[in-house]
Amino acid sequence: MKLELGNFYVKDIEFGAKTAFNDGILTINKEEALEVVFKDNHITEADLRIVKPGDMVRLVPVKEAIEPRFRVGGGPVFPGVTGKLMQAGEGETRCLKDMSVLVVGKHWGGFQDGLIDMGGEGAKYTHFSSLKNVVLVADTDEEFEQREQQKKNHALRWAGMRLAEYLGEAVKDLEPEDKDTYELEPLTKRSKELDELPSVAIVMQPQSQMEEKGYNDLNYGWDTNRMLPTFMHPNEILDGAMISGSFMPCSSKWATYDFQNFPLIRRLYQEHGKTINFVGVIMSNLNVALEQKERSAQFVAQMAKSLGVDAAIVTEEGYGNPDADYIGCLVALEDAGVKTVGVSNEATGRDGGSQPLVTLDPKADALVSTGNVSELIELPPMDEVIGELEALARDGLSGGWEDDEVLGSSVKEDGSIIMENNAMFCGDRIAGWSPKTMKEF
Amino acid sequence: MKKAVVYLNQFFGQIGGEDVADHAPEIREEKVGAAMLYNQLLDAEVTHTVICGDNFMGSRTEEAVETILDFLKDVDFDIFFAGPAFQAGRYGMACGEIGKAVKEEFDVPVISSMNIENPGVEVFKKDIYIFPGGHSAAKMRDDVKKITDFGNKILNGEKLLPAEKEGYYKRGIRHQYFLEDETPAYERAIDMLLKKINGEEFESELPIPELDLVEIAPAIEDLSKTTIALVTSGGIVPVDNPDKIQSASATRWGKYDISAMDKLDNREDLAFKTIHAGYDPAAADADPNVVVPVDAMRKYEKEGRIGKLHDYFYSTVGTGTTQKEAARMGKEIAQELQDANVQAVILTST
Repeated sequence: MKLELGNFYVKDIEFGAKTAFNDGILTINKEEALEVVFKDNHITEADLRIVKPGDMVRLVPVKEAIEPRFRVGGGPVFPGVTGKLMQAGEGETRCLKDMSVLVVGKHWGGFQDGLIDMGGEGAKYTHFSSLKNVVLVADTDEEFEQREQQKKNHALRWAGMRLAEYLGEAVKDLEPEDKDTYELEPLTKRSKELDELPSVAIVMQPQSQMEEKGYNDLNYGWDTNRMLPTFMHPNEILDGAMISGSFMPCSSKWATYDFQNFPLIRRLYQEHGKTINFVGVIMSNLNVALEQKERSAQFVAQMAKSLGVDAAIVTEEGYGNPDADYIGCLVALEDAGVKTVGVSNEATGRDGGSQPLVTLDPKADALVSTGNVSELIELPPMDEVIGELEALARDGLSGGWEDDEVLGSSVKEDGSIIMENNAMFCGDRIAGWSPKTMKEF
Repeated sequence: MKKAVVYLNQFFGQIGGEDVADHAPEIREEKVGAAMLYNQLLDAEVTHTVICGDNFMGSRTEEAVETILDFLKDVDFDIFFAGPAFQAGRYGMACGEIGKAVKEEFDVPVISSMNIENPGVEVFKKDIYIFPGGHSAAKMRDDVKKITDFGNKILNGEKLLPAEKEGYYKRGIRHQYFLEDETPAYERAIDMLLKKINGEEFESELPIPELDLVEIAPAIEDLSKTTIALVTSGGIVPVDNPDKIQSASATRWGKYDISAMDKLDNREDLAFKTIHAGYDPAAADADPNVVVPVDAMRKYEKEGRIGKLHDYFYSTVGTGTTQKEAARMGKEIAQELQDANVQAVILTST
């Protein structure tokens, strides 16, 4: 399977008469773009904004991030989600780099939503402050969940994907500046040289904790709660087979943008043929019942053994209950003779004194830590808020609160905030970007 | 100028040696002994020296701590130092006890220095900053330098680095930390993976504490020929607590002769009570047999269901006691039991 990702580096974004990409400048016809957004009747209000690194703008509640793309030869960027089901990971897909589409609630936030500061001290906490972003800020008539802490955010997330596909069309007739080519030979047809290198897989545990449909990550449109671990080609992940859900405390989230760019996968590709033989992806999940966890770990270990995997990276999109899947999977692999490295965040509490993961096992002897979900973060007011700042305190964001005996509300009258890292949008960058680790103090 | 208070024992407070280890706590509005060295090295003035005998602190801990906290309640200070305690166990425990109490009461930074072998390290490193120190007073200057350097960083509002960089004993307190070189997690993960594959050394960013699990012993086949001992972490002791076992974070245990007893008499009878600070003592004080069931064991002995109840029971306090101290005490008690040919133990917890 061979995938070419054609790169168009976006140097600037502006509104203009015609949606087009020219010489690094993405121009957007706002009216036309908003028509795409309003194709869903559930969208009641919508606006587009452009924010850039260093802008003193705070975005909240942020629900999703997507890289705009165009699938050469036709077909949806997200097969089985925004269009018909088709094979992802083959052929050519064009990508608008250094930018994303951010989806922000005009009013209502929830447990799964987060915050982004584009400038100032808070910018260091998220990857998306380093990108130019087209911000869709919108409201919906999904009244059934307006006051619910857990929101599916369906209309907004799907509007974001439509918008990303619309913007991606700006490069449909253009030649990319450069291309990243991703190709793996079929497992049984690899050269002797490759076969002699250590075989490495990545085990991904996307969010699948909700029994009800509509909240979990989707695999070609299929709810990850309803799947057993399966073998996937890494190109599929990089090419829109997986989309993010709407459930997890936000710093632990893998946005759809993260799946599209998954740094751990790209880095394993770089080593392929040099130090390792990259086998592919074992896509698992994070269901809540113990037997489901054990079943998944058993499937993962079996698949790794059958595929002849020597070593694996295991990474989870979440913390708390999912730690049992994370450690369980690492242990099952080690027991099967597979050398493992885990990548995840920790939950050591505001005082740093709590047990880092819900379960621990000495066999998990090689872990990369990407942050503490409950670290307290205080940030000064920003010049502008896109969305609604009050949502951080009012709507049960996982890192915000309305009232606290000592700390007061998360949102202060002057617009400054105090929150847990939990509410930082994809703040722990578990997909691999995190410049953070955990240290003893 | 910021203000500091220093805690010293009877020796470093220039009262005297072991013969005055019962010296009651006192506070002086001056720099005594090692406090002068602190004053030289600190970006603060040492305004008061607190001196207390190690035995006084060890045996009358509650009284000593209360007295000293009372001394300090009208003193204006920004930082508190205790020690250095070097390898002196009682002094280390004393520095920890008073340091922890001062931290909780006044919420000021508390810093001490102890040798790794000092039991105070294991017991109190979570509560206060403790820096590794030398074996003896020959290292006084070096040890005070280390802790005053760190104290100055705090006093001057400088950014504090992780324990491994600052040098104090790790406390099990983990916070997120932006790496200076911003090496992303994907690089760290691949690097760790390749090292693990190649059998090279690597360092996990989340070291898992080693579990020290003990295998369950095989069942005893014939209890009627077995000598059984009672051992408890429930703090049952003779009412005068002759071994001065601490009510929490215990480092001591005791053995008490029950060879002539059919049951343990209670506190009212001036026989046994509990000194455990981690549970409501009412029931155990009224009837210590609910924790150390001598009465039931004697009955079994008479019925011939067990061979013999061992002549002594063993006791310590389990609350706040570190795993390391508990393991040491367990080994010491186990050795005695083996030497006395005891074949089984009933271990009662609370």
